[in-house]
Amino acid sequence: MHRQEVTQYRHRRATIAVAVTCLAGWGGVACAEDASTWRDIETKYIFGFTTGSGIGLEGEKEFTVDAIGRFGKRGGHYAASETKYEFEFTPSQFIQIEFGALGSTHHISGVTDLDDRRQFALGGAFAELRYLAIERTSSNPLAVTLAVEPTIRRIDETGGARVRNFELETTINADLELIRNRLFAGFNLLYEPEVTKLASGETQREAKFGGSAALAVRVAPNVVLGAEAWYLRHYDAANLTAFTGDAVMLGPTLYWAFTPKMFMTAAWNVQVWGREVGSPVSLNLAEFQHHRVKLKFAWEF
Amino acid sequence: MSVVTIMMRKPLLVLAGVVGLLAGVPAHAQQAVEVQVSYSKGQFQPGELRAPADKPITLRVKNLDAKPMEFESKSLRVEKVVAANGEGVINVRALKPGRYEFYDDFNEKARGTLTVQ
Repeated sequence: MHRQEVTQYRHRRATIAVAVTCLAGWGGVACAEDASTWRDIETKYIFGFTTGSGIGLEGEKEFTVDAIGRFGKRGGHYAASETKYEFEFTPSQFIQIEFGALGSTHHISGVTDLDDRRQFALGGAFAELRYLAIERTSSNPLAVTLAVEPTIRRIDETGGARVRNFELETTINADLELIRNRLFAGFNLLYEPEVTKLASGETQREAKFGGSAALAVRVAPNVVLGAEAWYLRHYDAANLTAFTGDAVMLGPTLYWAFTPKMFMTAAWNVQVWGREVGSPVSLNLAEFQHHRVKLKFAWEF
Repeated sequence: MSVVTIMMRKPLLVLAGVVGLLAGVPAHAQQAVEVQVSYSKGQFQPGELRAPADKPITLRVKNLDAKPMEFESKSLRVEKVVAANGEGVINVRALKPGRYEFYDDFNEKARGTLTVQ
């Protein structure tokens, strides 16, 4: 086993150990408290990169700053981020609408197939419509929301080059309340086609398809800890006909409400398995990153 | 009415139908059931409300205290600030049978339930 592979193997073991320890340790502490006196919790943000079914309360408005950092490509140094400056509101008891601007940063040097770059830019804009299809009740623990999110970018998300990109993320966000007010499972199904026009005039079409499963334990009325797993496939065609590689990512998640109107979420995913079509190397660092980190702050009003 | 007018109206009718469906608006609006609750000395009175299933509900919240309160419920998916000595009206969709919690978001101890049967 090469030194790099040994390091990656150790990273994977450490990540899994941290996630299991968090869930087991905090789950035990949480069980000592009585959750029946806790208020209901909004599930949208408790699963990390996995999105829960929550759509907020009718009349509720929220401003959020949602940053996702991506780190690690094949060789060299790769660090990129995309931040959503987002306004969301819930006009009815079934619909939530979000929109906002994107800021992006790229710090790239010596990465295979990517130009060296160090930049910050306003990268684009997005909007999202969420529709609650199945609502949770005291006799039905399952809730399902359908979401569609069109995004336009002038800066390539991966390489940072000037482009014209249009992406349509469609997701099914489902969650189950396994133990009342205490334990939740979240599931996402993702289909994300996109088309990019490069500065050279060339047009590229691609798509991502995959899903996730997450478990979240409410260890205190305002704190939720969990872990999630993602399986993602990449295609060089919007209709999922040209498969180029896939990856599995795992990591811990955190939700922390500072006040009833202010909260943060954090998540870290590390790629533990991946493959590129036609390449013998382990991990898929061509289409996915080695690590991704999410940090989100929200203010309701 | 010309053929062109009919053709132009058809997509609009379809769009209106889709928006109505998404918003959870029934094709024939049902008569809402009115449920009243008072808020006094930091408590809901009564603390346990009842309403019939599958009928829209109009919740009338009377705040008898000298400071504002915020009626909120994650399961009902509503929130409304009610001014001191004021009244708030909250329209709730037709609900399935079950138990729905509500509370004053400004007061950790003020809680109540709506039982739908």
